[in-house]
Amino acid sequence: MIKVQGLYHSYTHDHVYAVKNANFEIAPGEIFGFLGPSGAGKSTTQGVMTGLLPLQQGVVQVAGYDMRLRQRELFNKIGVSFEQSNVYSKLTALENLEFYGKLFDVPTLDPMQLLHLVGLDGVAKNKAGTFSKGMKHRLTFIRSMLNNPAIWFLDEPTTGLDPAISRKIIEIVKDKNAEGATVFLTTHNMQVADELCHRVAFIIDGEIKLIDSPRNLKLQFGEKIVVVDHRVDDTTKREQFSLVKPDDMARLQTLLQTGKIEMMHTKEATLEEIFIQVTGRGLL
Amino acid sequence: MNKILAIIGRDLKSGTRDWLIIYLSLASILVALLLRALIPSVGESTLSLVVLQDMSPGLLAHLDDQARVSQVPNIAALRERVLRIDDVFGVVETDQGFEIVRQGNENIPMEAPLRFILNSYGREAAPLPMQVAFSDVGWRLSPIKLEGGTLLIIFTTVFGGMLILLNLVEEKMSNTLSAINVAPLHRSQFIIGKGILGFIIPIIGGISAAMILGFSGINISMFLVTVVAIAFISIIIGFSIGVLNNEPIAAISGMKMVYFPILASIFGAMFLPSRWLPILYWSPFYWAYDSMRAILLQEASWGQVSFNAAVILALTGVVFMLLRKKIQHGLQ
Ligand SMILES: Nc1ncnc2c1ncn2[C@@H]1O[C@H](COP(=O)(O)OP(=O)(O)O)[C@@H](O)[C@H]1O
Ligand SMILES: [Mg+2]
Repeated sequence: MIKVQGLYHSYTHDHVYAVKNANFEIAPGEIFGFLGPSGAGKSTTQGVMTGLLPLQQGVVQVAGYDMRLRQRELFNKIGVSFEQSNVYSKLTALENLEFYGKLFDVPTLDPMQLLHLVGLDGVAKNKAGTFSKGMKHRLTFIRSMLNNPAIWFLDEPTTGLDPAISRKIIEIVKDKNAEGATVFLTTHNMQVADELCHRVAFIIDGEIKLIDSPRNLKLQFGEKIVVVDHRVDDTTKREQFSLVKPDDMARLQTLLQTGKIEMMHTKEATLEEIFIQVTGRGLL
Repeated sequence: MNKILAIIGRDLKSGTRDWLIIYLSLASILVALLLRALIPSVGESTLSLVVLQDMSPGLLAHLDDQARVSQVPNIAALRERVLRIDDVFGVVETDQGFEIVRQGNENIPMEAPLRFILNSYGREAAPLPMQVAFSDVGWRLSPIKLEGGTLLIIFTTVFGGMLILLNLVEEKMSNTLSAINVAPLHRSQFIIGKGILGFIIPIIGGISAAMILGFSGINISMFLVTVVAIAFISIIIGFSIGVLNNEPIAAISGMKMVYFPILASIFGAMFLPSRWLPILYWSPFYWAYDSMRAILLQEASWGQVSFNAAVILALTGVVFMLLRKKIQHGLQ
């Protein structure tokens, strides 16, 4: 459904790349997560895949369309939700959706139903300019569903939303995926990625470090974390050690020889911990 | 086509909720009304009379045929009316015949024709060749109306350009442009949709201003050709400044910076002696002024209008070539 090969992108048109040699393919019906800290190059990759940024180097195919050719018909098949909400503040929520719906050549969903889906039906006739950040974000999100897209690009769909709304959004993505939509999702929220994605790519400094399913990652890395409770002076301190990192191994060894260990067990790593192990960096 | 209409419809809807845009759209009409209210006489090319209500019906009908007649109840009100700023003559029936009440400072020498009309009362067969002459006389002697009208109509296209600019800045500021860029809409559809108001506003505003100021006999086709030609350059300027700015105040001040020298060329055209005029030939607004003035005077020929329009479009073409990259880039 999506194929990206040897993708590079530089905002400055030089060798400072926001994305470096990205390679991946996304199968129909898959939810593919792009995971990385802020500034990793997630939005840039999505920008090139959706034609918002020019394709400078590499191959990008979306639903069979070569992005280099910039064929507008493609946009009947894809939906794009933005990290920063972008709606017309002088139009009402309903008018925003009605206007956008008119730009498609394919049948579009009923705006009122979409508004209802994210709990905005009560304010359908209010100007979007009066909305809170979260409401605008939801409006941006449902606008991307209008054409019932076969491929759905979601840039940080839950970031900055309160938990209840996040949950709602996650459920909607699951439902759409169950109906057959392919989803490309960027996030720095590991729980979201863990819950939604069939496969995730870890990206940092513009480079994809690995691509695998959350399950495989946990199997691969899960047993290799050791949690140790030990006494330092009068308090108990809990520390985690990775069994794949030489640093951690050395520290663990020292602790075993010299420390007062109270309890020790291995545990399944969270996606976040795996990310830290693999990239050596946290997600925030 | 439907998509273009959707864009226009959105801009209209959004525009009616924005005071600045409403103001810009109506500005030329408001200014025309103001001009007309301030200088009533320049708006009238026919003879205006004020008479008493008890004037004999036959005479009233006779005068009404030839002039614009209003009635007042008594002689005091008649005098008061005559004393107002515009040129109105009072006509009072007396035993001897008629008395003409006038202020003495009337711009337009209408008294002779008025006497002629009064004398012709009762001799309906007498030819009245004067009427055509009045309007001509009135027009030539109304520089405020002529120059003001020309300037106003050209300004209307600038307002059209500003309107586009504001709509584009709105799209950029809210980044809704990105949403448009991931919709199955061709760039050309977007540009046409955004640009059309830049033609419609000046056409409606310009024609309304011309009618309000009393230029009803002008050649509408020539008028349209000139307005559309000059709207092109205003729109291109509006587009390029609009896409380069993300913030309305900066955009408007950018617009002012660009328009100031250009509009100055119109004042140059008004006041410079003709041997200096070639220094204004670079300005499309000079050519528009030249056409529009002639059109309002009803002296324009198709040769002049089409030549000027061609020059304007050629200059527009040059500007467009220079700014094309920037516009394209800014719409990204
Ligand atoms: N419009 C831009 N111009 C220049 N640099 C940019 C622009 N957008 C993003 N960048 C840079 O590119 C890198 C990747 O950014 P981005 O793709 O937005 O990351 P993410 O979405 O993962 O947070 C960052 O270093 C960011 O500063
Ligand atoms: Mg981002």
